[in-house]
Amino acid sequence: MFTSMTNRRDFIKKMARLSAITAAVSMFPGILFAEEQERGLPKGGNLDWKKAPCRFCGVGCGVLVGVENGKAVAVKGDPKSEVNKGLCCVKGYHSVMAMYGNDRLTKPLVKKNGTYVETSMDEALDLIASKMKETIQDHGKDAVSIYGSGQWTIPDGYVASKLFKGCIGTNNVEANARLCMASAVTGFLTSFGLDEPMGCYEDIDYADVFVLWGNNMAEMHPVLFSRLLDQRLKRGVKIIDFATRTTRTSMAADKSILFLPQTDLAVANAICYEIIKNGWVNTSFVEKHCNFTKGSTNIGYGLEDKFAFKDKPEKISFEDYKVFLEDYSPEKVEKISGVSAKDIKYMAAYYGDPNKKVMSLWCMGMNQHTRGTWINNLVYNIHLLTGKISEPGNSPFSLTGQPSACGTVREVGTLTHKLPHGVVMNKEHREFAAKIWDVPVENIPSKPTYHTVEMFRALDRGDIRFMWIQVTNPMVTMPKLKRYRDGAKKEGRFIVVSDIYPTPTTDIADVILPSAMWVEREGMYGNSERRTQYFEQMVEPPGEAMSDTWQIVEVAKRLGYEKQFYYKEETHIEEIYTEYRRHHDNKKHNMAPLEVLKENSGMQWPYVDGKPTKWRFNSKYDPACSNGEDFHFYGKPDGKAIIWQRPYEPAAEEPDSEYPYWLNTGRVVEHWHTGSMTRRIPVLHKAMPKAYVELNPGDAKRLQIQTGDSVKLTTRRGEIILPASVNQRGVPAPMQVFVPFFDENMLINDITLDSFCPISKEPDYKKCAVNIEKV
Amino acid sequence: MKKRLGIISLFVLLFIAFIVIWNYSYYQGRQEAYIPIDNNQELPTIASEIGVFQRSEYALDYANMPIDEKHQRSLETYYDNRAFYGAPPSIPHDVESERAMGDNSCLKCHNNGGFTEKFNAYAPVTPHPEMINCRQCHVPENTQGLFKPTNFEKGSVPVTGANSAFQGGPPVIPHQLQMRENCLSCHAGPSAPKEIRVTHPERINCRQCHVPNNKVIEDIGIFKRSNTNE
Repeated sequence: MFTSMTNRRDFIKKMARLSAITAAVSMFPGILFAEEQERGLPKGGNLDWKKAPCRFCGVGCGVLVGVENGKAVAVKGDPKSEVNKGLCCVKGYHSVMAMYGNDRLTKPLVKKNGTYVETSMDEALDLIASKMKETIQDHGKDAVSIYGSGQWTIPDGYVASKLFKGCIGTNNVEANARLCMASAVTGFLTSFGLDEPMGCYEDIDYADVFVLWGNNMAEMHPVLFSRLLDQRLKRGVKIIDFATRTTRTSMAADKSILFLPQTDLAVANAICYEIIKNGWVNTSFVEKHCNFTKGSTNIGYGLEDKFAFKDKPEKISFEDYKVFLEDYSPEKVEKISGVSAKDIKYMAAYYGDPNKKVMSLWCMGMNQHTRGTWINNLVYNIHLLTGKISEPGNSPFSLTGQPSACGTVREVGTLTHKLPHGVVMNKEHREFAAKIWDVPVENIPSKPTYHTVEMFRALDRGDIRFMWIQVTNPMVTMPKLKRYRDGAKKEGRFIVVSDIYPTPTTDIADVILPSAMWVEREGMYGNSERRTQYFEQMVEPPGEAMSDTWQIVEVAKRLGYEKQFYYKEETHIEEIYTEYRRHHDNKKHNMAPLEVLKENSGMQWPYVDGKPTKWRFNSKYDPACSNGEDFHFYGKPDGKAIIWQRPYEPAAEEPDSEYPYWLNTGRVVEHWHTGSMTRRIPVLHKAMPKAYVELNPGDAKRLQIQTGDSVKLTTRRGEIILPASVNQRGVPAPMQVFVPFFDENMLINDITLDSFCPISKEPDYKKCAVNIEKV
Repeated sequence: MKKRLGIISLFVLLFIAFIVIWNYSYYQGRQEAYIPIDNNQELPTIASEIGVFQRSEYALDYANMPIDEKHQRSLETYYDNRAFYGAPPSIPHDVESERAMGDNSCLKCHNNGGFTEKFNAYAPVTPHPEMINCRQCHVPENTQGLFKPTNFEKGSVPVTGANSAFQGGPPVIPHQLQMRENCLSCHAGPSAPKEIRVTHPERINCRQCHVPNNKVIEDIGIFKRSNTNE
């Protein structure tokens, strides 16, 4: 700590200089001897801190990246970010290390006679463009497709949509957010007519009770969960964990309630039953702002190819709805859900208490659900019946899994039916997009083509011949994976994969393009609370790696769309973002200009009159409300939100005598999705080196299985052997097992089921029937 | 009799009215659709002072404690445990429960420290015991192998001993203060790395003399005087 004085003379000299400085400073305030003051201080080398949103999940924490001599060497939380206020999680703190794995892809690789040959970027892009032309000529426009990601930046998704929908003229644009957020989207659209949460993270600071619906927040959204824990410390809020499995979240919660898979539908209805029975309905709110509607029932599971479904909404009265709920008394629901009537009443009492502000939080548990849209609707029902919505602290809040699932997939609209503003089915929306894209309106087809699962089925069938996959790893994440892997490998398919590391998906590629990731390029992400965040390029990408945006622009130019892809290389991100903003130029969705994004830790949309809108549909906060009432659900033509009558229906495949266990899959705190980045971060890999199967201790005892033993899991799709984990990270309920999906050496998705929600087309990774035995 | 009944019923009525009005106003009072929100909430640029005095009750003990040279930590081992300077340290030992929150497990040792026979070392004291989801940031090492080797290079670390404006000046604080406001937890006691152990823990008001070096934390540029005559 101490530096000893070398000698007395030196000391006196220094003291004299210091007193001179002190005198000077006191005589002339404002003068600062900067050099004098900083001499001898550690400068941290050439360390430079630059702000960015975190690369990983949808929370969108602000991080500061320390750059030294052209390399990212450190990360810390940005204390000025309203999202995380300086805190990160273990993935965020070590995120920069994801750029430096020693097997980074740095050169394009082209498959020739079964082996990959290095080539130049120009040649690879030429080849992609010529293959696309050839495929369109031989098989038609709908034989080419792009499959992107919620980790696409906003410009990536925007140019992909513009090229495929606007220029080429096919709606074969999908993204992996279909596997994670589609049910949230259809939930919002059916209940409110507009996507994305009405509230924001600030709700956490006002709510009194938090109900987590199948959401292991302590591991999956740890930074937000720490905000809940902080509020509990300060204000004594209540946290209720409503889940199928005991996790860290259950341990931290004030109350942990377990339910049987799929029965959340019944429990949500039972809560509504209790609210009505006890007179907790906010009558004036419901009368003014809600309609009652019922939809089709027995809607299927999408297991067969070319499955089609269209909901038939039918208006009903409050009385009809009450009659429907008669089947969902807590006592009746207790029998199917395994949740005691007392616990159902306990939750209902919090929702019903007008003196408690309640925030519901959920993520994949509700979205990856064969009735995903329904369960989203049902939780909104609870909040609508009690009027606990669109107010600080009263907030049904759908969390996101990926950094730009909202920003890119949902807002730019990189889904088959979507346009940046509106849907392809709507003529006006097509005309509006075509005008901004500078393409003839006839280019944009009016019919959606394939959603993700169907897109891979089409690839297997041969309806799709060319697929470009960017920033995602479907050969780990697709359910019933074996079928889609075999399909992709068939003759006559041409697959381009843009990624940063070799993955099981690059293994099926004909061309592999090296991508520039995160802060190796410039871009924006949009997080769960409608916050768009900008990041600058901080370091050079390795080798010939190129941003996904520019890869698409280069191919578009080669296809002859120079006029639409006029962007200059130096300024293309700004040009693209400015063009994109024109699609959302209205009070309901206006995006902040780029200067504003650069100055702040992101900005929430709708950005109106220089201000973000924190609570939508509430006239006190949202300038788009125009009906003169306190609330205006302007997403629907009559300004009213919909309370949906949705029944409980069983899962696509439930345990039986042959396959008696439930199989649930998910993540762990250390790894991000398929682990292609996080497994290359030594700290994270050492903490969580491989996948496992979690068993209930009772089941394990009966089968004489101990932690570490090999266990064979068999479903109707196949089998896989995994090491057992008993009473460790999580404890599944009896007759249930859980397997994390990050491990490409133990592909659990080989045996999962590709059933999906008929409305959202999002697969259910949380439920299928499995048999387990000790090997 | 009649009079008495009248008075009683009057009080009963008043009491009922009180209950009804109280209930009504209580329910109305809480059901607020509008909470005024300060839209331009400034996030502080000056680090919070919360926690500076948090462990000051131990300061005298720290000052009087003989140094256990055999078991003291050094900065070398301190940095060994971190992916880079400023990264959250990983857990160098097995953990009892994979599932528990920190308040029931980690904090048993890391709240106050103390010698642990099992690890033959003093448990480091956390500067932020209020954050109980420890494993959000701190993870153990369950294997030594790597998935793939890494080319990541650690950045440089601040030098100790040359950390003051001039010789004899109080050293400045080279690190971010958020979550580390509680100086004594790392800079005093038997678990403090010897190079950064303070010689005068009893003085407790650390930031009276030691100030953060904002140049490192965030570049504030060179101060320019604004012309007030214009």
